[in-house]
Amino acid sequence: MEISTLVAVFFTMAIFSFLYRDNPFYRLAEHVLIGLSVGFTLVLLFNSVLLPKLFQPLFGSHDLWSLIPLALGLSMFAGLKKSWGSYSKPALALMIGSGAGVSIPAMMEARVLRQMASAIEPFSRMGAGESVGLWFIVTILISLIGVATVMIYFFYTRPETKPVTFVSQVGIYFLMVFFGATFGYTVTSRLTLLIGRLEFLLGDFLGLI
Amino acid sequence: MTRTNTRRLIFLVVFLGVALPLIFNIDLTHHATPETRQAYTNIESLPDSAIVLVSFDFEASSWAEIKPLAEVLLAHVFARNLRVVGVSLFAEGTTLGEQILAAIAAEKGREYGVDYCYLGYRPQYVAAILGMGESITAEFPADYYGAPTKNLPLFADLHNYDQVNLVISIADGSMPTYWTEYAVAPYGVNLEVALTATMATAYYPYLSSGQISGLLAGLKGAAEYELLLKQAGGGKRGLFAQSVSQVVIMLVIIAGNVADYFRRRKPWK
Repeated sequence: MEISTLVAVFFTMAIFSFLYRDNPFYRLAEHVLIGLSVGFTLVLLFNSVLLPKLFQPLFGSHDLWSLIPLALGLSMFAGLKKSWGSYSKPALALMIGSGAGVSIPAMMEARVLRQMASAIEPFSRMGAGESVGLWFIVTILISLIGVATVMIYFFYTRPETKPVTFVSQVGIYFLMVFFGATFGYTVTSRLTLLIGRLEFLLGDFLGLI
Repeated sequence: MTRTNTRRLIFLVVFLGVALPLIFNIDLTHHATPETRQAYTNIESLPDSAIVLVSFDFEASSWAEIKPLAEVLLAHVFARNLRVVGVSLFAEGTTLGEQILAAIAAEKGREYGVDYCYLGYRPQYVAAILGMGESITAEFPADYYGAPTKNLPLFADLHNYDQVNLVISIADGSMPTYWTEYAVAPYGVNLEVALTATMATAYYPYLSSGQISGLLAGLKGAAEYELLLKQAGGGKRGLFAQSVSQVVIMLVIIAGNVADYFRRRKPWK
């Protein structure tokens, strides 16, 4: 048996041991996981960003333009000392400004406008005289009621009149269906992770499957 | 029974609910859902030698769920004689993506640089996704192994998303949202996603609106895809264990609620 299999078995059992109670083996496995994860990411970032985007252009091809991102990057560390905090602001402003400029139109397009168009599109098809089945009409009506009632539920300054409260209550039921579906999928997902580990223990380690 | 012991009993029951079906496995009859069929048809309808960009957007912790999805999708892509460009926008997915891409490519007899390549990891996913829309070789001047991408034969006719026929994001988080925002909306990319089950409900609206063209979710999605591909794999192998354990959990939830009902009527001493 390969030593890597034995190491994996040890750490798997160490993590599982937490199900009984907290213990040093679990703590060891937890710390090793965090250390490995951070170390791996740092090395990867150095190799895939700092080396090709900064050090190679700067020291290899003497590209002096690379000094600008270097200066901006280093100025971010000024935020660690309170009295130097203002030196990090230009770099932060650049990041926040460019980030917002890129993301706001993209988010509006993908998450709002396209979703709104998708909610309206079935009605425009019906309006254009396209033949649709009864089930199609039922599903788009459910969808429309769901969208409208959930939006009203999240309209916090709504007047607390009886009809509005009733509609927002209907919205809660739609949300509960969503949460239920998401919870069901989450349980399934976590079970799959357990299946993966047990496949390893029963198959690769014990040879039972 | 104390609360701690009750928890331990539940863990034991769930453990047995997974372990025993894995040992005494039964092939369950199942069928492919429309969204899985859509994902399959999406790849099936691509022309010969079309370019598929596969993004490994996951962390190592979800490998058990992601692996069957990645295996079956890559097996289909290579079986269809499509060309694959692999990237990773999550640090932890980098080496796992490389391993699985290289393994399936070797299994199918594909040549590196001609039929497939792996570009590795790029941080700042928004910039990476947008950058590939302008020029993939500028965003990834070198591949994962350090070779200049412009020297790879695969890039003779590949410059940006205009030449990419399909993007597949294999993800365990919200990365497909960013693909939707920064590749689908501005560049009109054809996007298919393979997700952990946890993320599935968040992406049905995108499927419904046509922003993504196919959705595979979790072990079940992998098993359904294996069925369409007529291939045995990790999805089908775990399906019986997953089904039994789901029943066990439902029984535990019912038992918990019944116990809680009686506890409220007459507090335990």
